[in-house]
Amino acid sequence: MIISVTALAWLVSAATLATMAAPVVLIIFWIRDLLKGQLW
Amino acid sequence: MNGPHGASLDPATGWLILTAFSILWVILGAYLGRRSSGLEGYMLAGRKVGMALGTATAMATWVTSNTTMAAPQLAFQMGIWGMLGYSLGAVGLMMFAPLARRIRILMPYGFTSGDFVRMRYGRFTWRVFLLISLLYAFGWLVSMGMAGGVLVNALTGIDYRIGMSVILAVCVLYTMLGGLKAVIGTDFIQTLIILFGIVALAWLAITQVGFDRMHEAALTKRPELLNLLMPAAIMFLFNNLLFGIGEVFHSNVWWSRAFAFREGIGFKAYFTAGLLWMPIPVVAGFVALTVPALNLNVPAADMVGPLVAAKLLGSSGAVLVFIVVFAALASSLDSLLAATSDLILTDIYKGHFRPQASDDELARAAHWMILGLGLFAWLLCLPRLTTLAQLLYFMGAFVASTIWPIAAGLFWRRANPRGAALAMIAGTACGLASYFLIGFYVAALVSAVVSMSIVLLSTWLRPDDFDWASLAVSGEVRS
Repeated sequence: MIISVTALAWLVSAATLATMAAPVVLIIFWIRDLLKGQLW
Repeated sequence: MNGPHGASLDPATGWLILTAFSILWVILGAYLGRRSSGLEGYMLAGRKVGMALGTATAMATWVTSNTTMAAPQLAFQMGIWGMLGYSLGAVGLMMFAPLARRIRILMPYGFTSGDFVRMRYGRFTWRVFLLISLLYAFGWLVSMGMAGGVLVNALTGIDYRIGMSVILAVCVLYTMLGGLKAVIGTDFIQTLIILFGIVALAWLAITQVGFDRMHEAALTKRPELLNLLMPAAIMFLFNNLLFGIGEVFHSNVWWSRAFAFREGIGFKAYFTAGLLWMPIPVVAGFVALTVPALNLNVPAADMVGPLVAAKLLGSSGAVLVFIVVFAALASSLDSLLAATSDLILTDIYKGHFRPQASDDELARAAHWMILGLGLFAWLLCLPRLTTLAQLLYFMGAFVASTIWPIAAGLFWRRANPRGAALAMIAGTACGLASYFLIGFYVAALVSAVVSMSIVLLSTWLRPDDFDWASLAVSGEVRS
C-alpha cells in the first residue's frame, strides 16, 4: 500500500505549517510571562 | 569546496560558525546563570521557571540529534513510518504532563528522579534504577557527542574527533558556568533557531524538488519508503512510542525540570511542548525521501540529513543545517550534562559516599561533576562505534522497563518495591534478548510489556500501602 503524492504533500505541508506556528506560540508565552514577572 | 563525503562547506567557514556560536552560548550561559545562588539556584533554577521557558526547554531538549539527524536517517531506512514513528516521541512528553504535576505536588523539595525511587521503593530498587538511568544518560550523551562529530565532518570535512571535542567542550563550559538557568535560557533561543532552520530547509526542499518528482523517483528506486504496510516500520512505530515514554518517564532530564518549573506550570509546559514538537520529525525527516530524486550517494545512513541539505541548498543550506544541528545538539547536551551530573551528585556522591555533605559542598562539587561527566563522554565518543539509531535503540530495552514502575509508583500506593525492581531487571533482560534475536525495533516493545506484566501482577499479589506524605519531607529528600 503506497502513499499517494497528494497524501504525502498534505502530511508534509501540514507538519511544516504547524512547525511554523511554534515559535509564534513561544514568543507569545514569553511576552506574557515577562509582563507578569514570571519568566524565572 | 567539497570535503569528504561531499561536504559543502570549507573548513574555514565551519570553524567560523563553530567559534561564533560557541562564544555566543558560553557568554549567554554565564550571563543567565550569574544570579544563581546556592544548590537550588544552580541545580533547579530556583524552582520558578515560567511557561515560556518551561515549554521551550522541554521542546529544545527533545529536539536532539535524534530529531535533526536520526529522523532523516530513519526516514531513509523506513520511509513514511520512520518519520511518523519518530513523531510519536511527542506522546512521551505529553504523557509526562500529569506526572510532572504529580511530582511537584508530592515532592516540593525533590531534586532528582533517584530521590523519588529511593524514597518510594527503597535502596535496592533505587540502585537498579540508577544503573539503568545512568547507562541511558551515558548512551544519550555519547550518541549526541558522536552526532556533533558526524555533523561537523559531513558538512565541513573537519575531523570527526575535533568537531565532537569542540561541541562537547562548549556545552560543558556554559553548563558549568550557569547551571540549569544557563541550560534553560539558552534552550529558548536554541528552540527558535531550530524551528526557523527546519522550516526554512523544508520549504526550500519542497520548492526545489517538489512532491511529484520526489514521489515518482522514490516509487521507481525505493518504493518501500512509500509503503504504508512495511511490517518492520510499523513495529518501529510502536517501539518508538514506548521508547519515548520510557525515556521521558525515568530520565532526570525531565524530572529536574518538573522540580524546577514554577508551581502549576509542569502539566501545561510538557503538554504544550509535546504538541509543538510532534510535527518536527516529519519536517526534519522527509528530506531523506528526496534521495532517490537527487541520485545522491549516501555512504552512511546517519549522514543522510546533512548530505541532502548540502546537495539541495549548497553552501548557504549547509551553513543553515550546521547552525540548526549545533543548536539542537547543544540544547540536549547541556540538559543531559546538568541533569546527569545532578543524579551523580545527589544519588551517587551524597547518597553513597558523602551522606553528610552540606549544600555548599554539593554546590561546589556540582561544577566538577559536570566537567568529569563531559570528559567521560568525550572518551566514549572518540571511537565512532555505531550508528546513532543503533546506539539509541539498544537503550530502548533499558528505558522502557522503567515506564510502569515509575508511573505506578507515582499514582498507586499499592505498587511494591520488589515488583518494581523485578520489572526493571526482567524487562531490560527480555528487551535486550529481543534486540539481538529479532531486531532493534522491538527492544522497547518487549521490555515494556514484560515490565508491565510484572508490575501489575506483583501489585495484585503483594499490595503495598505507601504513605505519600513521606515523600514531602524536605530533609529526607537529599540524604
